[in-house]
Order: sequence, then C-alpha cells, then structure tokens
Amino acid sequence: MPPERWWNIVRMRFRSLLKRRRVESELDREMRYHLERQTEENLAAGMNDREAREAASRMFGGVSQVREECRDMRRTQYAENFLQDLHYAGRKLGKSPAFTVVIVLTLALSIGANSAIFSVIDGVLLKPLPYPHAERIARVFYRSLEYPKFPLNPWDFLDFRARNRSFESFAVYSRADLQLSGAGGDPLRLSAFRISSGYFRVLGVHPATGREFDFSEERPGSGNEVILSDRVWRNQFGATPDILGRKVLLDSQPFTVIGVMPAGADHPGNSYNSVAYGDTVDAWTPFTFAGNSNNRGSHYVEGIGRLKPGVTAEQAAADFNGIMTELASQHEGDKGWTIYMVPLFQEIIGPIHKMLLVLLGAVGLVLLIACVNAANLLLARAAARQKEIAVRTALGAGRWRLVRQMLAESLLISLVGGALGALLAIVGVRILISFLPPDFPRSGAIHVNGLVFAFTAMVAVVTGLFFGLAPALQASRTDPQQALHEGGRSSSGNARQTRLRAVLVVGEVGLACVLLVGAGVMLRSFVNLLKLDPGFRSQHVLTAEIALPSANYKTTDNIARFYQRLLSNLNTLPGLRAVGAGTDLPWTGYDENIGGFTIEGKTPPPHEEFHARYHTASPDYFRAVGIPLLRGRFFNEQDVKDAPRVVLINDVMARNYWPGEDALGKRITFDDKPKDSDWLRVVGVVGDVKDAPGSKGAEPAFWWPVLQQPFSFTSMTIVLRAHSDAMLLTDAVRTKVRELDPSLAVAHVRLLDGIAQEQFSTPRFALFLVGLFAALALVLASIGIYGVISYSVSQRMHEFGMRVALGASSWNLISMVMKQGVLLTLIGVALGFACALAFGDVLDSLLYGVSARDPLTLVGVGAMAIVTATLASFPSACRATGADPMTSLRAE
Amino acid sequence: MSKPSDLIQGTLDLLILKTIALEPMHGWAIAKRIQQVSKDVLQVTQGALYPALHRLEQQGWVRGAWRESESGREAKFYSLTKAGRVQLEKELEQWQRLSGAVVLVINAPQEA
Repeated sequence: MPPERWWNIVRMRFRSLLKRRRVESELDREMRYHLERQTEENLAAGMNDREAREAASRMFGGVSQVREECRDMRRTQYAENFLQDLHYAGRKLGKSPAFTVVIVLTLALSIGANSAIFSVIDGVLLKPLPYPHAERIARVFYRSLEYPKFPLNPWDFLDFRARNRSFESFAVYSRADLQLSGAGGDPLRLSAFRISSGYFRVLGVHPATGREFDFSEERPGSGNEVILSDRVWRNQFGATPDILGRKVLLDSQPFTVIGVMPAGADHPGNSYNSVAYGDTVDAWTPFTFAGNSNNRGSHYVEGIGRLKPGVTAEQAAADFNGIMTELASQHEGDKGWTIYMVPLFQEIIGPIHKMLLVLLGAVGLVLLIACVNAANLLLARAAARQKEIAVRTALGAGRWRLVRQMLAESLLISLVGGALGALLAIVGVRILISFLPPDFPRSGAIHVNGLVFAFTAMVAVVTGLFFGLAPALQASRTDPQQALHEGGRSSSGNARQTRLRAVLVVGEVGLACVLLVGAGVMLRSFVNLLKLDPGFRSQHVLTAEIALPSANYKTTDNIARFYQRLLSNLNTLPGLRAVGAGTDLPWTGYDENIGGFTIEGKTPPPHEEFHARYHTASPDYFRAVGIPLLRGRFFNEQDVKDAPRVVLINDVMARNYWPGEDALGKRITFDDKPKDSDWLRVVGVVGDVKDAPGSKGAEPAFWWPVLQQPFSFTSMTIVLRAHSDAMLLTDAVRTKVRELDPSLAVAHVRLLDGIAQEQFSTPRFALFLVGLFAALALVLASIGIYGVISYSVSQRMHEFGMRVALGASSWNLISMVMKQGVLLTLIGVALGFACALAFGDVLDSLLYGVSARDPLTLVGVGAMAIVTATLASFPSACRATGADPMTSLRAE
Repeated sequence: MSKPSDLIQGTLDLLILKTIALEPMHGWAIAKRIQQVSKDVLQVTQGALYPALHRLEQQGWVRGAWRESESGREAKFYSLTKAGRVQLEKELEQWQRLSGAVVLVINAPQEA
C-alpha cells in the first residue's frame, strides 16, 4: 500500500474520531439533500406534497439505521466505545473516591518505584560506556592461584604489545598523582596517571587540543610532558587558549603541556590505588620504561586494550596466554601467571550488577503485589456491582463488551497510577542518586529519559490489563437471573469470587514474605558488618595526605626528616591525643610484597612465597589510628636510621609465619645475602585490620619505621586523633604544612569516620531500598487482608446474627473472624518461605555473616506477618460483634 | 436493508467507483446514474449507498467535497482519488474474470 494512502486513511480515521459531530452532521446534510431530490422527483411525478415526502422517506429506509451503518463503516466504533468506556469508568471511579485513591496511590508508588529503579538500571547497565565501540575495550590482568587479579609488569607489557595479534591498540596505566604549584592559588594535588602511548587510542577519546603521547615519549629522560583535563585547564589556567607548549610545575618540576582532554573524557576506572570510574582524572604523563628490562618481578601497571573487530576477550586471552608461556620460559619472574581478560563494561559494573538486579527483582515483586492488591480490590467492587452488571447483561450487553468495560476501568486506574508514578520517579531518582554510594559507577548517567517514560507507560498498561483481567472475566460471568433474583445475597458466583480473592491474598502475603525475608537477612548482614570490630577506632580522627615531590626530597633521609619535623610541629596543637604518619590507611587499598623477604629459619611452603602488605609508620601512627598493640612495643624515638633495624607486624603475620611461636624478637630480611645489620627484628605485634569490612580475613602485614624506610615513601597520610571534633584541626594542619614547605598540597582531608562509613554505603543503600520495598509490600498485603476479611464479614453478618442468637459471645465471633485472617496469612507465609528458601542463593553473595535462609529472620518475618494479619482483621472482627440477632431472625 | 440482495456483494463499490470515474457526483446523482445506465435494472437503495460511500472514503479511494449542485443547493460531490483509480482497475479486472467464469459455467453443455 503506498504511504500516501496510509496517510489518507489515518487522516480520515482521526477525522472520524475527533470531529465526530461534524462528520455526522455532514452525513445528515447529505441524506437530507437526497430526500429533497427524491421528494422533488415525486412531486414532478404528480404526487401531492405529503405523499411525495412520505414516499421519499419510505424509499430511503431508516435514517438512523443508515447513520448507524455509516458509523460502522468508519470503523471507529472500537475507539469510540473505548472512549465511552473510559468516560463511564471515570464516572464510576469518581463515585467511590476512597477505593480509587487507595488503588491509584498504591499503584503509583509501585510503578514509580519501578521506574526509578529502571532509570538506574538504564543509566548504569543498559547505556553503553561513553567510548566509541566500548564493547571492544577489555581490561587485562595477571592471575595466579593466590591472586585472581594482579597488575602487569611494564617490561612484559612491551612484549605483549609487540607480539599480540588480538588488540588494535594495547596500553598500560598506573596511578601517579601530581602536585600542581605555581599556577596561582594553593598547591593542588591532581589525581594523575602515567600512561603508555596507546592509552587514549584504546579508549577512543582524543585531546580536544594538542596531541597524545607517542612512542618517543616512552623513552626514559625524554622530557616531561603532560596532558591536562578540561577541568584543570579551566579552573587552574582560566581556559587560556595558549596552554599548549606552556610549562607548568608538577611535583616541583617543569612539564610541557602537549594536550587538553575534552570535558567528560571518562577515566575507565582502575584497581590499584584506584580512582573511581568517571570524569575523575586531572592529568596524564607518559609512562617511561627505564631500568633493567629483565626485572619481571614487580607488577604495578594495569592493562587495557581495544580488541580488533570480531575478536573476543577469550580469544585475546588465549593469544596472551601463549605469549605468557613464551615469556615464562625466558624470565624466572614470569612463571606462574596466566592472563585474566575482562570486558571493560563488566569490570566497571561487575561489583554492583548483582545488587541492581536484586533491587529490580524486589521492586518487581512490589509491583506484582500491587497488581494482586488492585485485582483484589476490583473483585470486591465487582461483587458490590453485581446487580449493575446483571442489569446490563439482561439488557443485552455481550460478555466481551462487559469485559472491555471493566478493563477500561482498570486501565484508567493504572494509567493514572502510571502518570503519578512517572512524577514520583522523577523525584525518586533524584533522591536515589543522592543516596547512592560514593563509589557507585556511572551515577552521572542516571536520568529519567524517554526510555524510562516509555517503560513506565508500558508497565502501566500491562499492569492495568494484568490486574483487571481476572476481575473482569469473573464479573462478566455473572448470571443475571440469579443475581437479580437473589438481590445481591450470597450465591455460588460469590463463593467462587471469595475463593479467588482468598487465593489472591495468599499470593500477596507470600510475595510480601519473600521481600520481608530478603530485607530481614540484609538487615542482619548489615548489623553484622556494623558490629564487626574494624580493628581501629575511627571517632575524632582526621586524616590528610601529603606527597613530597621527589625533586625536592631526593633521599629517604629528606623524607624522614620532613615527617619527623611535621609531626613534632603538629604535636604542639591543642586538643590532640595522638598524631602520626603512615602509608596505610584502613580500608583504602594496599600495597603487597610477594616473595620479597626471607624469614630467618623458615622456608615458605612449596609453590608459595612469603607475602605481606607493606607499610611504613611513625611511632604514634597506631595510637592515632587506634590499632591496638598486642605484644611488644610500638616504634619509638630510638628507631632511627642507624639504630638496629626493627619491624612491626600484624597478628595474622605472626600467626601465619610463626605458628605456635612468639614472633617477638624473630627476624626477617629483604636482602638476598644479608649481613647481620640487614636483619629486621620484630619488636611488636599489632591488631589486624582487614582490607575492607566485608573481607574474609586480614592479610599478613608489616611496617618499617619512617626513619628506617628502605626506599622512598613520598606519599603519606597524616593521622590526628583529637579529643573531640577532629574536623576543627583542618586549618591548623594546612598551616603547619605550609610553614614547613609552602609548595606542598594537603590533599584528601577526611575524617576516618567518613572513610569507614563509605565502606558501608553500598550495603546500606541496598538495605534501605529493599527495606522500603518490603515495608510497602507489607502495607499492601495488610490492605489485601483487611479487604478480604471485611468483605467476608459483611457477607456473613446474617450468620453472625444467628450465632449471637444461639448464644455465641463477642469473643467467639472475634476469634472466628481473626482465625480466618490468620489462616490465610499462614498459608501465604508458608508459600513465601518456600520461595525465599528456593531462591536464597540469589542473595547469598550480597550478605555478610548470615545465610539468606536465616532461621531467625524467617521466624521474625512469620511473627510479623501474623501480627499484621491480626491487626488487619481486627476492625472487621469488631464489626462482626455488632451483628444484630433480631435482624437475622426476622429475615429467616 | 444494508446490502442490495440483487447485487453481488462488493459490486456496489465497483459501480460507484466506475460511475464517479467520469466526473465528481453527489450521492443522489450516483444512484440515479446507476439506475439509468442499467436501464432501471440496478436500483441502489439509499440505505446501501451512503454506507458504501462512507467506506470508500475511509479507504481513501474517494474524496468528498461540498459544492453547489445543479439544483442550486450544496451537495457533497465524490471524486476518485489516485488510489481509487488503481482500485477501480483492480476491481474491473476482477469482475471481468469472475463474470467470464460464470458465463463459462452457465454455457457449458449439459450432459445427458
């Protein structure tokens, strides 16, 4: 069919539908003209006036019939009927506002919640990453038996880049923050990365001005060059157009700006010293390959590559593993590793993917419950409207026509609910985003957009049909004779309906129980996390990071001396309990040393090496962080450079490497052929701190004294424990640092409390939402119970009256009614528990220290359901006691 | 009655399309013309004519426009659209095939 004809037809249909009155009046005019002509003809044939007119009408046939038939021809009767149905439904609903408000609000809440969660899913899971052909970007890690995800060795990287056949471009990057000074204003810490030359080609993002690094910049000593972020260019350099070629001071050294990235050039996220995904990086400098290319033991660069079209991550991994095998035959340090390759999207979204799906499931359950609830309420109404429906049936309304009428009503409800839900979603998403954990990836991509509205509309329509269909079919089965005859009293149809409603309530309670169990175990898991001893005391502790530019602090002595002076200056501040400096801050990442040390008199188990997290710390660091001393002593003022070398270890290290012995006084060394002075004596054992609150256990760890650090720890965290509000110390810290060295930036000033809280933000977020959904489900279920019991009581008033007449007490009646409500609930609870037990695995990975089938939670939820059922049936039970025996007797 | 019993179903469309193919006409004139041309054999009842016109208009085959008629009053004149012409060709061809086939069957020699 040619499109113009389609257009014609569509236009005509709309005309017929929207300008109905005009179309009809035209038809009337047409027919009147016809009649007139016929009359004239009749007159001309010799009839008199009256005869002519009558004959013409006779010939024409029924005018209204023609009119009706033309209407049929216009094929708009379905739409017209539907509009009529909607109109009628609107009037009907308007007459029972309480019913309408309850049902519309519950639907609006659940549709809104669904849309809000969907917009999160859409922004985070459905939208592609903002890189061209992002699906071809993959992250590359090493993997061993002990380490599932490990960074690459830079020399290995060069071999991989040269030999692989899978990547269009392959690059590495490594965190290396820089301190920007001399750009006007205070020195500023930039979150920065050293990148190999292909890095931006991998991402497919390119400098807005200038160029990226090429191979020549990877050579050592090739000069300092930097690419800046749009943000730094604007905020620090006033968006000056002549930024290219300009020298800027980074870590006290001149760097030439060779490019500025466009705004929103998202950092793909990284795993070590991680910077969150997003517009979070300020500067990039070239990664230079210096030193001994046979040193394959140290791993600190992260791999990222753009696959050639048609190559999968698995194929690329196989390709890399082949190269890895070759490398392992050449270099001792490359033995024992395989390649772990993961698509970038999965790497970014992985940690929250499961949680989002659980949230979607939970909110879907709420919608299902709301549907069941709505169906239940509609059924109750249908029962009350039995007479009306019977009359309409008796007057010739077809069954399908009745179903359509009822569906129009449920659609109207769900569409209004959907519209309100969309408004709720707009507000809800804002609230949701503000509640998102700070490390939640892609939160910037969450918007209520056209797709979300389309989703909402679809959900509304499907919901309306879903919860309307059963009541509509049920009602349309009404037998008019019986219904009219019995005057609305109980009948077999009613019994069927009552059964259906009971089934719905059981389902509702069951679904609500599933949600309640979910929320319950999540709550327990969260409480478990909170109850855990973190291993440190976070109250009233301020932390701040300082990085010493290696240009100005060339030796470990320089560094040690700076921190010594800074700490003694800070110690003069009032209100302090302890101040220290260290390289590790609880729950903020770690550095690992594998096989780098020897324990006196021990050999590691076969195929294993001694390994430990390594740090350096000042004497008071542990007191400041609140890590307890278990045995021995902390560092003290005597642990200076030339003093006997000492080390502190944590409890796990003591227990793992000196099982059944006292680790105090034992020695370790980092030297292959140690002289006696190369041995480090364990002088103390401190408490364990896990990598994150949910980690299985703590890892072995040790600390060097700051004054004996074996290599330069340029970046350290200052930790100040105060008597009260530690935030008040911020300015003082800045001042003291500036007094010592005005070129230093004081970065990441945070409360230790805040750092600790962040670790709980993801489970708290999930708990908050699931808890909210469960509460909503509970309310919906109690509405359902109330509705069913209340209806059943109203049907049985007669019976109750008889019982009273026969001597039943009020208490008898109340317990009868309550029993009914509790029985329905118990069946629902049993079903819900069966589901919860069957699908428990879904939640297990999100829980800490509690099973998804936690018996205590089940008992609690069961009790809660029964209490709710009791409360929900109580008003109806009380009503039952008002049954009047006289009324019942008279009716008999 | 909605369908003229003496007209094969669907033929009315063809007759109308054919009739207004010459010039735009109003309903009354269409009925008259069919009656005249068929020498009073085909009488289109008005009850069938207007629904048919309505349907053709909805299908986009004819277009209606109000104009002054020969009697001096306004009447709705129907004319063929482009799609209508194509449809007319189609229906004509169909009709010819059908009526030819009917003739063949009727004239077939009777077997003893």
